Amino acid sequence: MAGLIVRRVFQLVLLLIGISFIVFMSMHIAPGDPASIIGGPTATQEDVEAIRENLGLNEPLLTQYFDYLRGIFTGDLGFSYQTKQAVSEAIINRFPNTLNLAIASIMVAIVIGVTTGIISALKHNTWFDGLSTVIALGGISIPNFWLGAILILIFGVNLQWFPVGGLTEPFWTIEGMKQLALPAITLGTGSAAMIARMSRSAMLEVIRADYVRTARAKGVREKSVIMMHCLRNAMIPVITVIGLNFGFLLGGTIITESVFAINGVGRLMIESIAARDFPMVQGSVLLVATLFVLVNLIVDIVYAFIDPRISYE
Amino acid sequence: MAAEVATQQLPAHKKKKEVALLKTWKRLIRNKMAIVGLTIIALQLFMALAAPIIVGVDPNKQNLELSELPIGTEGHVLGTDNYGRDIWSRIVYGARISLLVGIGAVSLGLVGGVILGLLSGYYRRLDGIIMRFVDLMFAFPGILLAMLIIAILGTSLVNVVIAISIWSIPTCARIVRGSVLSIKKQEYIMAMKSLGASDLRIMFKHVLPNCAAPIIVFATMRMATAILSTASLSFLGLGAQPPTPEWGAMIAAGQEYMWTSPHMIVVPGIAIMLVVFAFNVVGDALRDALDQGMSLDK
Amino acid sequence: MEKKWFTSLLTVLFVLSLALAGCSSNSSSGGSSGDAKQELTYATTSKVVGLSPILTNDSVSSTVIEQIYETLFVRNSKGEIVPHLAESYENPDENTWVIKLKKDIKFHDGTPFHAESVKYTFDKLKDPATAAPRASLLAPVSSIEVQDEHTVVLKTEKPYGPMLAALTHSNAAIVSPTADKKQDLMKDPVGTGPFKFSEKVNGDDIVLVKNEDYWQKPAKLEKITFTVVPEVSTAISMLQTGKVQLIDALAPELMPRLEKIKNVETQKVDGTPVYYLAFNMEKAPMNDLKFRQAVSHAINREGYLKKLNGLGVYSNSFIGPEVFGHPKDDKGPKFDQEKAKELVKANGFDKKEIKLLVANTASYMNMGEVIQAQLKEVGIPAKIETLEWGTYLDVSKTGDFDITIAGWSNVTGDGSELLFPRLHSANIDATNLSRYKDAELDKLIDQSRSVVDQEQRLDILANADEYVMTQLPVLPIYHGIASAAYDKSVKGFEMEPTGQWSLYGVHRE
Repeated sequence: MAGLIVRRVFQLVLLLIGISFIVFMSMHIAPGDPASIIGGPTATQEDVEAIRENLGLNEPLLTQYFDYLRGIFTGDLGFSYQTKQAVSEAIINRFPNTLNLAIASIMVAIVIGVTTGIISALKHNTWFDGLSTVIALGGISIPNFWLGAILILIFGVNLQWFPVGGLTEPFWTIEGMKQLALPAITLGTGSAAMIARMSRSAMLEVIRADYVRTARAKGVREKSVIMMHCLRNAMIPVITVIGLNFGFLLGGTIITESVFAINGVGRLMIESIAARDFPMVQGSVLLVATLFVLVNLIVDIVYAFIDPRISYE
Repeated sequence: MAAEVATQQLPAHKKKKEVALLKTWKRLIRNKMAIVGLTIIALQLFMALAAPIIVGVDPNKQNLELSELPIGTEGHVLGTDNYGRDIWSRIVYGARISLLVGIGAVSLGLVGGVILGLLSGYYRRLDGIIMRFVDLMFAFPGILLAMLIIAILGTSLVNVVIAISIWSIPTCARIVRGSVLSIKKQEYIMAMKSLGASDLRIMFKHVLPNCAAPIIVFATMRMATAILSTASLSFLGLGAQPPTPEWGAMIAAGQEYMWTSPHMIVVPGIAIMLVVFAFNVVGDALRDALDQGMSLDK
Repeated sequence: MEKKWFTSLLTVLFVLSLALAGCSSNSSSGGSSGDAKQELTYATTSKVVGLSPILTNDSVSSTVIEQIYETLFVRNSKGEIVPHLAESYENPDENTWVIKLKKDIKFHDGTPFHAESVKYTFDKLKDPATAAPRASLLAPVSSIEVQDEHTVVLKTEKPYGPMLAALTHSNAAIVSPTADKKQDLMKDPVGTGPFKFSEKVNGDDIVLVKNEDYWQKPAKLEKITFTVVPEVSTAISMLQTGKVQLIDALAPELMPRLEKIKNVETQKVDGTPVYYLAFNMEKAPMNDLKFRQAVSHAINREGYLKKLNGLGVYSNSFIGPEVFGHPKDDKGPKFDQEKAKELVKANGFDKKEIKLLVANTASYMNMGEVIQAQLKEVGIPAKIETLEWGTYLDVSKTGDFDITIAGWSNVTGDGSELLFPRLHSANIDATNLSRYKDAELDKLIDQSRSVVDQEQRLDILANADEYVMTQLPVLPIYHGIASAAYDKSVKGFEMEPTGQWSLYGVHRE
């Protein structure tokens, strides 16, 4: 296990260097000059040139990149071109909001997804199974910005059950739950559907497996067959899907945060790309990529615990 | 020698394949959901091909006097938008765009994914590098990757197609690699190799056709994702150029009118949902049908 | 049994996520509740870049800056320029501005406001090392001298007519020199205004509190919060549910919804911005006057205004009705589709496709779609190309387009401040998007800037405008209206034509 972690962390470092290079280069290749954005439409050429010089954008590209890389290794993510705020500070301010949203959404997704998935598998080919399959497929087919807008319209404005936007409290407080309810449903629906489908098919496969038949034949009670033999084995692929979806959710927050006025890292990314605020884009992309890799590492470790047959040596 | 072996095998192989295809099709249409999905796709295809015949109205023809008419108005079955354009005709022409974007993005992505997947599954030496590259692309949130690509290339539908296709390369590469790894070990491939058939020939003539099933399923499901992603990018203002009647762009534009003319977002929203739903359902059913086919053939 | 399994799974997940979130979540202070007395929350679509008037140049930042800092002069509700931090001014000669300052004014940090503060602020704004985005505002000023504690003297090389207008600009607001030397004003601003900075909460929300030691009567509001809500429709929902009390710069398509909401009032004030088409004068066929006339006749501007739900003013002039220098009579081309068609036919303008460059913000895209459709009606094929704002700024300045949709908010409200940046040949490759180079217009603009007598300036500007409307390097589509929507409990709110506002006189009932 220790070997696995060391190897993965090493891979993560390489991966992050690769990502930082790609992001750095693509931001610099992309048309649009951060200095003219700061200057705005009213700026003269001299104004813009002075800002460029001030930001160090006149240095050679590779010098800029290596300066940046050196900064990362000393824990310095640089300063925002626009607000002059430290990138690390800006990210730390926003990250709790994104994490709150992502966790709330994955919880919504797991509860809905695993429950319906297992019940449909146990009641294979009944009306419940059919209905939940249709709903699950519908769930992945809804554009989530559309769902968000419609939820706001119904539950925020007409019924006034939930606030229409903003996130100021963590998810375990009552106020936080209220604030998160609509965004978490918006973001979690797609994942819930995927998890439901995966749980259903994994469960079906396990139910038909030989050892389950054997257990049944031996006269083990139905409930304990399901609990002891099926669930445990069916959970393995489901956990992969949950892990993958968590990464997917982190990306999905980009749109959901905009719709629900949540001040998170996703929105920071959109704003920074639009403003060509290179250090801010870099910092937030690196954070999301790191999280994605870490979540997958955790998934692998959880695997090993659930299914002792899997080894990574 | 090798060629001879191959040609001798071919007829039998082909016949078997045809039978398998027929069986798969039969299994597919036994699935009620698949029929619903196939019908929707067929309808979309029909709308896309026959758009000018179905609607007489130019989808971009504005009439500021007749704007925001509700659903069911005479002459405008689905109402009009904020510029007084006929929504029905925009939906019909939009079917063409969403289909083209989907097909374009998926096929481009397939080409990239299949090549990477084949190479990495077939040559152990390339495997490490290619898979690290795939990991790298995986770690990017998809929408962000697309945003970066569009930031570089500029906002247009063609660039959206490119962005989405790049975004589907890693998944496709992994799927193909997986199948290649399992096929590679089968006896007849080993035999051909020892008979001196060229790698390229083996890869494209023998390995690739055997990966067809997962690739077809992937492509179908990916159509759904591609159509959804196009809509999301349009929502962020990074998609079709106005006045293109792209469904996602229609929703984005209708957002501001949601409270006074909700049909402006409801109609294209439902169109997207139906089409995406259809591709998902068919993909699902295809997978079931092909899976069973595989196990029966064994 | 099944239930038990689930509960335990959930508990594990819950604890795990608690731990995860607990590590990183620093408790943020509560959201502003709707019913609090004398408190107000304002929502904007993009974040505040920073709070230094010297280092920022975006409308969102200046909204906050307006509450914290003050300028030497301001425009009153009639549009006249009156002294504010200044007491009076005189011009001993055309190149000298002697400005007397008010006494007994203190910055929020206790530093007294006097001539040194003005000199410090203006020197810093002009210093190239500062890289101030609006350094050009005071570019004509050659020196700033302190005559005595309460008198400052600005000298120019050439007479500079719009001087007072420039001094009303929020980028020319006075900062506390002691604070600027000690701290970063972008984060920790110190001015003389009725409100002072309190804290930043929840990432980007800015909280201001009343300045008890204000040099006039203190403000009535105790606390104001500036919060970011990227989707306008969400912001309106928050206004409706009482989470937010004020939004501004309303989009026309939202007006019907806003007007239906019971607890909300809207305010519209004729404004200084102008939205127009800029023709790229260096390219054919745009350099042909007949083409520009054809386009001008093709576009039904009055019809388009109806779509704006009262958020635009029609005026067939480039210098708008609320801007200093607006001409009395209207000589510009009128909507005439037949004439446009004739011009197109006679000159073969239907052969070449025109590239219409549009920034991808909603209002510009809306305008673009209508214009493209109307050009098509008269036979001019046009293709819209939308670009992100950042790319647009660069591309529009390099002239890689045929026609583009542009806007100019004109915060100083002076016609010279529109014509000089937008049409003077000195600003090609920068703000002169039309790339217009015309000696006669250059001369008129230079005059309007160098004459100090305001009556005379008015005539010069009106003449210049008439010239623009016959040569048509630009075609004004409409003139903006400053707008805001607020909760009915908000009283005493007044917009300025520039779209800016102060919360000084506002209270809640």
